Amino acid sequence: MILSSDSQVMLLLCSHLGLSSDPDTAPFTLHDWNPLARKFQTRSLRPGALLDLSEQDLASQLDLSNDEAGRISRLLERRGSLAIELERLESQGIRVLTRADENYPLRYRQRLTDAAPAVLFYAGNRELLGQPGIAVVGSRTVDQVGQDCAAYIGNACAWSGSVLYSGGAKGVDSISMKAALEGRGTAVGILADSLERAIRVPETRAALMRGDLCLATSYSPNAGFSVGAAMGRNKLIYALADYAVVTASDVEKGGTWAGATEALRANWVPVFIVDYSDMPEGNRALLKKGGVALPYPFPIDFAKFPDWLSAQAVQNKSKPTQLGLF
Amino acid sequence: MFAKAEGLLRAMIGDQANFRPGQWEAIETIVSKKQRVLVVQRTGWGKSLVYFLATKLLRDQGSGPTLLISPLLSLMRNQIDMANKIGIQAFMINSANRQEWEVAEAALSENKCDILLISPERLNNERFQKSVLPEMAGRVGLFVVDEAHCISDWGHDFRPDYRRIVRILQMLPKGVPVLGTTATANDRVIDDIQHQLGEGLIILHGALDRETLRLQCIRLAKQSERMAWLVENLPKFHGSGIIYCLTVPDTQRVTEWLKRNGFNAEAYHAGNDTEIDRPALEQAFINNEIQVLVATVALGMGYDKPDISFVIHFQRPGSVIAYYQQVGRAGRAVDRAYGILLSGTEDDEIQDYFIDTAFPSIQSMREILDALGRHETLSFDELLSKVNIARGVLEKALKLLEVDGAVGTAYDGKPLYFRTPNPWQPDTERIERVLALRRAEKSQMQSYLDHNGCLMEYLLRALDDPQPKPCGRCANCRGKGLSRTVSHNLVIQAENFLKGISIPIQPRKRWPFGLFPEQKRVIPPELQNCPGRSLCYYGDAGWGKLVRSGKYSDGHFADELVEASLRLILHQWKPGPSPSWLTAIPSRRHPDLVSDFAKRLASKLGIPFLPVLVRTEEAPEQKTMQNSTMQARNVLRTLSVIGNVPSKPVLLVDDIIDSGWTMTTTGFLLRSHGSGEVYPFTLAQASGRNINP
Repeated sequence: MILSSDSQVMLLLCSHLGLSSDPDTAPFTLHDWNPLARKFQTRSLRPGALLDLSEQDLASQLDLSNDEAGRISRLLERRGSLAIELERLESQGIRVLTRADENYPLRYRQRLTDAAPAVLFYAGNRELLGQPGIAVVGSRTVDQVGQDCAAYIGNACAWSGSVLYSGGAKGVDSISMKAALEGRGTAVGILADSLERAIRVPETRAALMRGDLCLATSYSPNAGFSVGAAMGRNKLIYALADYAVVTASDVEKGGTWAGATEALRANWVPVFIVDYSDMPEGNRALLKKGGVALPYPFPIDFAKFPDWLSAQAVQNKSKPTQLGLF
Repeated sequence: MFAKAEGLLRAMIGDQANFRPGQWEAIETIVSKKQRVLVVQRTGWGKSLVYFLATKLLRDQGSGPTLLISPLLSLMRNQIDMANKIGIQAFMINSANRQEWEVAEAALSENKCDILLISPERLNNERFQKSVLPEMAGRVGLFVVDEAHCISDWGHDFRPDYRRIVRILQMLPKGVPVLGTTATANDRVIDDIQHQLGEGLIILHGALDRETLRLQCIRLAKQSERMAWLVENLPKFHGSGIIYCLTVPDTQRVTEWLKRNGFNAEAYHAGNDTEIDRPALEQAFINNEIQVLVATVALGMGYDKPDISFVIHFQRPGSVIAYYQQVGRAGRAVDRAYGILLSGTEDDEIQDYFIDTAFPSIQSMREILDALGRHETLSFDELLSKVNIARGVLEKALKLLEVDGAVGTAYDGKPLYFRTPNPWQPDTERIERVLALRRAEKSQMQSYLDHNGCLMEYLLRALDDPQPKPCGRCANCRGKGLSRTVSHNLVIQAENFLKGISIPIQPRKRWPFGLFPEQKRVIPPELQNCPGRSLCYYGDAGWGKLVRSGKYSDGHFADELVEASLRLILHQWKPGPSPSWLTAIPSRRHPDLVSDFAKRLASKLGIPFLPVLVRTEEAPEQKTMQNSTMQARNVLRTLSVIGNVPSKPVLLVDDIIDSGWTMTTTGFLLRSHGSGEVYPFTLAQASGRNINP
């Protein structure tokens, strides 16, 4: 893995690599990074140029306060540990993509624009990120309906050659992923934590090695579970897919609700809600907010499910997008 | 800046000091241009001075600390003291000084550490990554890669960990200078390093000649002749020196022989001998409390004793680079030093063994990956119990697979190994290339032995020195040298010495991991063997050759071996309470070989031979069982006891002992059936797994 100097700078500024969990100088959040990225664009600079600038040059050329320039300069100093960390990750099978990378998933650029994560860590087949596919979203604890839905969507993906997108968590995520992979289909898991551990599970490792699976995260590969991260990664699941299916959601609370309402507002993809007589209240509420009904028991054989989705989907033109931002 | 650097130089080594050619150039390239430099200079030229001064100048500019990666840190203490003279605070982190880590971490966090010395394997260590690097806030001001020839496959001392260093340097964003140093790299190695570290690498290559060194080669076929030569010639040298041997047993024999002849000699090696305190030996040798250190290559890179006045090789090293590095330890700060290469008939055999076992087999590598692939993580012992691979080979294979990215380690109280999703293909082309190189290096050393031109020039040409010329000092240039013949009487004495040494068999006290998963691993003391003896090392000088021909050519062990065993048991060993019966390990493959020998030995000892052990089925040869669990399992499955076992002490006889599990499990069986103390005795110990330095 030879990284461009642009990507090196993005990793130095926007990732925790080589920093302690509570560093004196915090790396950039997207909120910090986006204004800086705009400054690069207006000045026709590439991020990699920062490697050659002194702290004074930074302040004057990018019109930064001394504090900001100092922060950048301190983050850029950790080149040595960045190289050591990247080598360790790579030797474990974990690689990186940044917004400065031409291989960075196009759907994130187009659909998430400023909210597209600056840095992604991944293992397995990168090319799957953004291939046509279906996202499945639901809870970690599943009832019979949830299990049926998960297996059905996984099978549908395997059968039709669509990618199964999920959060790679327990419950709906893992059941659908298992179904997809066992059918020699492909899957993508967008993790909120513990990428380093996830890839050690024998079946997961086998799928990664076959090229049938990609696990990606915008958080540190050794990050532990956090509710914020689990919420924050929802948009990353929706934004890669062509369609999303919500199996079960609480109302006005929980990650599924938050992610689904966000997706409905942003209109990245048509969001289908599993619809049956004693469905959870959240499902009913999401249908009212613009979710498309997916009746259960399913109206059609799983082999034809993608066609059915495409026919049902209310075609929404996505908003004009701003491209080219690092 | 030059004036400042010169001032620091003088503060460090004295008022009159000036830069040696190349030193200032290297410092300037690092400090002003922040470029990548490879310095190829003979040991003693002052490479450490370059990185200490560069560190000082960079630190004064506000750079982060220097990270120095070196395979041999224990020997850098005196260098650290030197650095202190110009106000450089150096700290060291390695596996042996965990108690000092916190001190180093604290100094880093206060920005008081100027140079951090680490061993290459630290780079992949979790604690280093999680607590040390963040304390530096990653501010590495300069990377120093000591012994940089280890980067290259073509180097004589390729180390897998160095591949990791290369990848780190390839990923290192620009603006951080890198200094590689080596004393031993020919053009091919330099080209390879340049290829791996990038075209921007600047090479500073100095002359390698050591003008105090007098070289000579002497062929003496038998070990006894060379041992006699040492006793005759060592008194002619003044001061202290090193005798290099190829194997651990050789260092032990030569040391013992020299001690008996009144020399102040000590053995130095990395064998699993708890009596060897290497740092203490190094220190005693530096203080000239030891006159002769008899060492394997474990006394390796970076060892810097300036007043060594001779380096004698008891056997021929594998390559010119290795030889020059070892012989080059002599004569750094003395006017005259000797580098004598002795060579005998066993050299080729030992070198071939090193070449043949240089890489674990592809089959072993796949077996390891398959076992890991079935699990999330495995500890070393868990993995060992699942594969038929020797402990040492498994260690070597894991290291290679780790550097290949096929295996990763996590740490949870102990290292846990796991298969990564990275694909793995054996790099057979690379392996073949390296093995072919090793063979070519071997023949280059063979030619050196018989070279009749200048010996120094031969070595310098092989090392691609910029200006090789005849030295005028070596035995060939001067037309005279040390004696090539030895006194017949001393040779006879040495032969008797070699035949008179016996080798202990240490009883095993614990079962291997995973053999009896339900039980404790400790073998109850009343069921353990007593300490035993072997007559010799298999195939070695002394009796070893006779044992080999008995086993594989004659199908019969000679009476001389019975006599020698008898003498050993009665006069040297004298086990007590003395054994009152004798039995032997049975074999279906060669039913008479050992039992015939055992019967003759029993009759000489005047005690009965009782065949109470039988093979219940043909066991695979124990030597095909590669690790403890497999070996012990193999014996237990195929051996049992019949008839009456006397409750008296017994001598348990076999021809060759390797891992010792046959003896341990058989002794356990005998004692479980009511026998008295079990004394293991074998004709030979296999040295194969003990041959490494």
